[in-house]
Amino acid sequence: MTTPKLSVVISDDDPMVRDALRDVLDAEPDLEVVAVARDADEAIELAERHAPAVVVLDIRMPGGGGGRAAREIRLRSPNTGILALSAFSDREAFGEIQAAGVTEHIVKGASNSDIIAAVRRLGRPGSG
Amino acid sequence: MVHSDAMAADQSADQSVDTDFERPPEDSYRLLVDSVVDYAIFMLDATGRVVSWNPGAERIKGYSAEEVLGRHFSVFYPADDLAARKPWHELEVAAEVGRFEDEGWRLRKDGTRFWANVIITALFEKSGSLRGFAKVTRDMTERRRAEEALKSSEERFRLLVQGVLDYAIFMLDPAGRVVSWNAGAERIKGYSAEDMLGEHFSVFYPPEDLVARKPWRELEVAVDVGRFEDEGWRLRKDGSRFWANVVITALFDESGRLRGFAKVTRDMTDRRRVELTLSEQRRLVGHLVEAQELERRRIAWDVHDDSIQSMVAVGMRLQLLANRLPDEDAATVRRLDEAVRASIGRLRNLVFRLRPPELDRHSLVQALDHYLTDVTGPLGITYRLRHSLDHEPPVESAITIFRICQEALTNVRKHAQASELEVSLSSVDGGTLVEITDDGVGVGTPSGGRAFEHFGMIEMRERAETAGGWWSLEGGARGGTAVRFWVPTPNGGGP
Ligand SMILES: Nc1ncnc2c1ncn2[C@@H]1O[C@H](COP(=O)(O)OP(=O)(O)O)[C@@H](O)[C@H]1O
Ligand SMILES: [Mg+2]
Repeated sequence: MTTPKLSVVISDDDPMVRDALRDVLDAEPDLEVVAVARDADEAIELAERHAPAVVVLDIRMPGGGGGRAAREIRLRSPNTGILALSAFSDREAFGEIQAAGVTEHIVKGASNSDIIAAVRRLGRPGSG
Repeated sequence: MVHSDAMAADQSADQSVDTDFERPPEDSYRLLVDSVVDYAIFMLDATGRVVSWNPGAERIKGYSAEEVLGRHFSVFYPADDLAARKPWHELEVAAEVGRFEDEGWRLRKDGTRFWANVIITALFEKSGSLRGFAKVTRDMTERRRAEEALKSSEERFRLLVQGVLDYAIFMLDPAGRVVSWNAGAERIKGYSAEDMLGEHFSVFYPPEDLVARKPWRELEVAVDVGRFEDEGWRLRKDGSRFWANVVITALFDESGRLRGFAKVTRDMTDRRRVELTLSEQRRLVGHLVEAQELERRRIAWDVHDDSIQSMVAVGMRLQLLANRLPDEDAATVRRLDEAVRASIGRLRNLVFRLRPPELDRHSLVQALDHYLTDVTGPLGITYRLRHSLDHEPPVESAITIFRICQEALTNVRKHAQASELEVSLSSVDGGTLVEITDDGVGVGTPSGGRAFEHFGMIEMRERAETAGGWWSLEGGARGGTAVRFWVPTPNGGGP
């Protein structure tokens, strides 16, 4: 019996990061990127539509920032895990994300395997 | 009975004395007169010949009684008075109205002059016929000299005031009309004395002040508190404006009556220009700091949004690639990825340093505290932040202080290998003194003198000096390094 793939929505305003991240996650047999958002509004909409296992959220995006997106997603798709991705450990920005209930935070530049592990942790709580 | 006006007062005093009072002996007046040395007291007969003489007369005029008795009193007068027949005229007046008083030059026996106060009183018989004259003369030469000295010093003072060019010094009558005018007033205001005498001083005030009735209010204040001082625009005759410092002093006489005002005006236009230039300069420094911050912010976002993102993407792709390559090639690609990630780390530090300090939301000390936590945490350095600030420095000073601290802390991180760090801020001399001390390796002897030419040091010093302060780097007391700098607090903020 094959376990169903973990569905992931990616959200990042930088096209290169977006594409690279998609390729990194898609390369994993148990992960599937179902949608890619370019800003916070798109991320909210796509998360609601797909109810993915995990949303990877750039917390410095145009359009209301990561905090608002995280709150909206938790409201509209309560079972979706949220992984915050930031360009550096921004105390203020991360504080906002934490307040919105986000627990997983990865600084950009972390290795692919760290990102993949974090996605799996969020998607299959208790399994890894 | 012989008496003079000088004794009239004594006589009237006598009247109030009770009748039992024993009358003084007949010759008591003579004794009195004979003892007076400060006044020449003597009698003339009806034609003006000297008939009595006292020691005062001898002392003042130089003649003994023998020399002068029987001579006409005109011997005491200078030639020009004789030509004008003054002695005879004086007797005529005295005979007519009872009394004559005069001040003027008289001659001593040796021909020298003295300034005399003279009172001649006509003496009449009970029948009413003229018997003669009592003459009391006082030598006023000393007093006159003093008065002359006073007058000439007043004159010198007047000339001084007249001649002063740097100040307009003039007087107003109680109503505010100009009653005197000096050269400085003419120079500064452009009006001549002829233009101004009798004019109301409100002509010096611009229309907006007249509407506010400022000139009149100024006089009222001067009357109330004695003095009024002001700085403001005033008008020259040609209508141009100058920036004036004005002091108005109310002048009261001994009885407390207002006699007028003294007004001293100074043209401060040049000084004001200099002051404006200074505050202009301060404003420019403020702009400079602001512009620098803007530039930094832009660079920070550029690096963050573009360079770092691209490199992050490149890193992710390199890792993907490595996973697909045979081991020997994979190793090379992984090394490439390591290099990229190290660069990302350095760029992230750069962005962190370039980011605007949190001074819009936090105090300087709080912002520094946060920054210290961020910087020292990963390095395992313990820090102490002490402060005794009277007040929060204005934002441009705070930015300057924060940026210098940042640079110094970067050096601690990069060079010091310190385990402890102390940062203290205190209010000193109208500014903020900051000391950053580490217990690291110290700067040592700069290798080839170049250590002090790196940009970090230059930037710190330039920031402090641009803000009008100073910066220094020394070996710490317990080894290590001490950076000290002081940044003045711009006073009043300026425009
Ligand atoms: N706190 C410190 N501890 C030890 N060495 C220091 C410290 N601060 C500065 N230095 C020395 O002074 C030199 C000049 O510093 P700086 O002008 O900031 O340039 P940079 O940091 O780029 O080298 C450094 O290279 C270092 O050798
Ligand atoms: Mg440096």
